[in-house]
Amino acid sequence: MASIKAYESDWAFEARLRRRIRNLILVSVALLISLLFFFPVYLMFSSSFKAEGEIFAIPMHWIPHEFQGFRQYEFAFEETRIERWYVNSLLIAAVQTIATVFFGALAGYGFAKYRFPGRNILFLFILSIMTVPFQILVIPMFVLVNQLGWHNSYEGIIMPGLISAFGVFMMRQFAYNIPDELLDAARIDGASEFSIFWRIALPMLKPAAASLAIITFLFSWNNFLWPLVIAQNRDLVTLPVGLTYFSQSLDREPLWAVAMAVSTMATIPVILLFVFFQRYFIEGMMVSGIKG
Amino acid sequence: MGLVQRRQYNGLLFVAPAVIFFLIFFFYPIIIGFGLSLTDFTLLKPPVWVGLQNYQDLLNDRLFLKSLNVTIGFVLGSTVPVWFISLAMAVLFFQRFPGRELMKVLFFTPLLPSVVVVSVIWKLLLHPSGILSSVIGPIVGQMPIKWLFDLQLSPIMSVVVHDWHIAPFYMIIWLSGLTAIPPELRDAARVDGANALQSFLRVELPLLKPTAVFVAAISTIRAFQGFSIQFVMSPSQGGPLDVNTTLGIVIWKYGFQFFRMGDAAAISVVLFAFILIFTLFQLRLGRSDDFSLS
Repeated sequence: MASIKAYESDWAFEARLRRRIRNLILVSVALLISLLFFFPVYLMFSSSFKAEGEIFAIPMHWIPHEFQGFRQYEFAFEETRIERWYVNSLLIAAVQTIATVFFGALAGYGFAKYRFPGRNILFLFILSIMTVPFQILVIPMFVLVNQLGWHNSYEGIIMPGLISAFGVFMMRQFAYNIPDELLDAARIDGASEFSIFWRIALPMLKPAAASLAIITFLFSWNNFLWPLVIAQNRDLVTLPVGLTYFSQSLDREPLWAVAMAVSTMATIPVILLFVFFQRYFIEGMMVSGIKG
Repeated sequence: MGLVQRRQYNGLLFVAPAVIFFLIFFFYPIIIGFGLSLTDFTLLKPPVWVGLQNYQDLLNDRLFLKSLNVTIGFVLGSTVPVWFISLAMAVLFFQRFPGRELMKVLFFTPLLPSVVVVSVIWKLLLHPSGILSSVIGPIVGQMPIKWLFDLQLSPIMSVVVHDWHIAPFYMIIWLSGLTAIPPELRDAARVDGANALQSFLRVELPLLKPTAVFVAAISTIRAFQGFSIQFVMSPSQGGPLDVNTTLGIVIWKYGFQFFRMGDAAAISVVLFAFILIFTLFQLRLGRSDDFSLS
């Protein structure tokens, strides 16, 4: 009996040991790769607190030696028009997000819950839009916006991204799950079709709307090509465009610490969204296959 | 007409704003895009009809042909390697081990900054006096390393930066594919004596096929649109010597630097053809309802 027990504990010991070794390997590999991926982001953050002179210090300063506090952030406000860029980016993203969610829900609900003539062909039209990336449209869109007299205006930046085909598609998929009985019950009570949408359908679409809102915001916040070509007026410059101009000055080395402060400030809203709405954040990106 | 049938017409009112919007901001631009590609147009004078001349000119256009090469290189570099990196990371993070959630968040961070911010950060990292030059320079015996000014290194760096930025995104997609596989299948394979690798190759990998099609298609379609990293990070927007000039950058240059809108529109049509091939591939291999919407 004793030998069996000893054998058993040997076996348990070995299992535990193997488990420990396995964990150790997994943890070290994962830690190494994670830190490698995290490092550039850390560098952005730490450099924004460095003095300009220690940006290129060798060996690298992991923690700023001449800690600047928020001096570089103050410089960012003096050296650049970041407050304007920020307001522009926020305004554009807010308008596009609200419009995309509202019109997406409206049309998605229409496609899911009504059978009207031409429904399938119109929906196919919406689907086909999703296969055409914006880059292909940028030239004719520029011509169109000029024809409309919207060159160098908020309308020009905002309008092409006001409604997204993906938003319509996504909301339609979710609107299918709304039980018809609920809608019919409201009809019997005499509610109008729009108030049924507004009072019953829209609240039920909230989780999908949250995901759609987050990816739309990210997409708009990070959007680069369109604001780059359409906003020639410096009052209309958005954060990505402003940062590009600032870091590409030809005649002198950019102020790197300031550039990193601007970069950090540009990333803060995204970090906040990620921290507070992680589920919707990740769900939205996965469903859409869109990474802002 | 019955009341119920009449009610169905309300659907038209619901979809009308979106449909009208897309007629103006999608259908119309598509048409004028094709139209412009058949003209000479500089924005200053009305377009002049030239037929297929722009397309013919592209065959001898040095910058366009170069950009085709650059784009194909970028597509290869920013698809295949990133599939394997992201899949390997997904398999890793699928295992249980202490500290997993924290490391997953660390690994995820490259996705948070916008592509422009990412490009600026890496411009600093890859600066001749930057950290990567000072660490790797002594090893290869060359100081400083001009990562972004070297004709061979520079396009590779565009790929590295892109893959670094986007790998966490595909990792999350693979991870959700792995999570969707019923654990019983894995257990059954293990009971039958398969080791971890065999169970992965024979059970999990085949079941990941829809995920693989999705990842392969969207990464390829994205890669064809390579623009921002090359525009912001490489010297003089797509340099040095145009080694980072993707199709996207040529469209921008012809359209908004040289104001040759007709040529730019023709290149857009060519780019559209490439992307369409891969979109059809995705539609063919994977059903569009493969991803979970719950």
